[in-house]
Amino acid sequence: MAKHIHEIRDAIHVFARLDSDERRVLDSRPFQRLRHIHQLALTHLIYPGATHKRFEHSLGVMELAERAFRVITAKENIDPRVRDIVPEGDQLRYWCRVLRMAALCHDLGHLPFSHAAEERLLPEGQTHESLTVDLIKSDEMASIWQRVTPPLRPEDIAKLAVGRKKLKDHTFDTWERILSELIVGDGFDVDRMDYLLRDSHHAGVVYGKFDHYRLIDTLRILPETDDEGAEPTLGIESGGLDSAAGLLLARYFMYSQVYFHRVRRAYDFHLQDFMSAWLGENGLPTELSEFLNLTDNEVLVELRKAADDASHVGHDPAVRIVKRKHFKVLYERNPDDSEKNPECGAAVHKAACEKFGGDVVRHDRYTQKGSGVVFPVRNRDGRIVSSYAASNVLQNVPLVNIDYVLVIPEKQTEASAWLKQERERIIAPEGEEQ
Amino acid sequence: MKRIQRAAVIVSLIEALRAKDSWCGETNIQKACFFLQELTRVPLDLEFVLYKYGPYSFTLTDELTGMRADSILALRVRDPKYGPCYIPGALADSILERYPKTIGKSERKVVFVAERLGNKGVADLERVATALYVRKGMGAVGVKERANRINQLKPHVSLPDAHAAVREVDKMFEDAAELSEY
Repeated sequence: MAKHIHEIRDAIHVFARLDSDERRVLDSRPFQRLRHIHQLALTHLIYPGATHKRFEHSLGVMELAERAFRVITAKENIDPRVRDIVPEGDQLRYWCRVLRMAALCHDLGHLPFSHAAEERLLPEGQTHESLTVDLIKSDEMASIWQRVTPPLRPEDIAKLAVGRKKLKDHTFDTWERILSELIVGDGFDVDRMDYLLRDSHHAGVVYGKFDHYRLIDTLRILPETDDEGAEPTLGIESGGLDSAAGLLLARYFMYSQVYFHRVRRAYDFHLQDFMSAWLGENGLPTELSEFLNLTDNEVLVELRKAADDASHVGHDPAVRIVKRKHFKVLYERNPDDSEKNPECGAAVHKAACEKFGGDVVRHDRYTQKGSGVVFPVRNRDGRIVSSYAASNVLQNVPLVNIDYVLVIPEKQTEASAWLKQERERIIAPEGEEQ
Repeated sequence: MKRIQRAAVIVSLIEALRAKDSWCGETNIQKACFFLQELTRVPLDLEFVLYKYGPYSFTLTDELTGMRADSILALRVRDPKYGPCYIPGALADSILERYPKTIGKSERKVVFVAERLGNKGVADLERVATALYVRKGMGAVGVKERANRINQLKPHVSLPDAHAAVREVDKMFEDAAELSEY
């Protein structure tokens, strides 16, 4: 007799459990491909343990998604003001299955090396999320959704897997919005919970750890305020406020110490350069069967060949990765400079390009996205307060603000001397253009 | 419009809203930017979708957080029952000083939007912003037709309230006609 529950050992959550329908997703070609997509691109060149893949992350997100779902839909946890939006009975069970499948599939469309080269390689308007949606709606996956009892609507899975931000031409009702925020939202979504815990575990750093047990246990669907007409959204009981702050601090430290580590970012640039050169004018294939054939493995094989062969397309960036001759930091934003010129990094980058040529200089600029620090908190007396007012910690969580100019190592000494001499002139803001 | 120029316009909008006693939380800024872009045609290059309390731009949310990271904006608690309000940050003045032409071009429109939306609460903003969203999608078709659409998109907005919102937005269009092109 077929086994109905399949257990997979997991480094973070001990077990991920799947039923036979979910096992069919696991065995599908799009999902098996995730075994060959590094979660953190080339971060393992800096943190050698960070070789984990999207495959196990996706299982972890599914595991956490159901835990969170059971908490927010438990009868004793439903705030009377939002009771109308939570389905019951078969409908509730349907959405639990959709949520698990969406969590499992939320990363199907990732390119080789995840985010590293996405912006450079995909055609305008396409993202890994749009490829995820295409794959969820593909014939192979549609046949799996059809076999489930009752059949799952691919549209529902797609909505929850990528969320409102990435499905701009779709309408979401309140329930769908909340479930999608549970997976890929802007605050305490389970995608973020899993990647912080998992990435810090594999990288060998403790920055990403926080009390996710407590946080999930205190998750609630709440009206944003006590006012009539306030929109229901994800919030927490006051007892979970420090756990939520812990997650936001973990995010800050993981961004500053791991995801935006300057050497890791240099490797991202080299990887983009290599893949752009290797893929040529046609760019990354977005036709699904071709897309599924391309994983980190194919790129790595070609990368090693290119590093050893001076005539191979993409030889220079390949050498920089394989022989660790990555770009070095020439300039990093600081408060004095940003007070003089809020676009100080861009000014240095422009001047360095004019002086040394655009091929040998890169600008890495990123400011934190989303909001995340503002959500409803239900006090013990039932009143709703704003998280931001209720927590001094949340008011002081730093924001990620990356502004590096990188330069080819062969020019680093010369460029540093040049910048030391020209710095004040370069940083001084230009007049406003007409 | 470049990111930093958009930031300058947003700072000037926040100052104008505050001058009209707006709460100046994210919802107030979201809806004011929607009107600034869609009614008065200031090219903020923001994409709005129907989301929390009507039209909403995820890009703008990212932008506001980025402006906080750059100390151009800051958050302040006004009442613990509600989310924080946005105030100009330590570097707001230097942005305003640096982009006088950009700010000058949009100044009348910023004041226009702040005057009409500054005193509105979240529920009012949702109604009129959704009315503008519907007008943008359907064109200036009959009041009844647009009110029905608002009620369909936002069932908690009653039909009489939706009618009133449509008329208010139509009046704003008439009033905005005298503002010069950006």
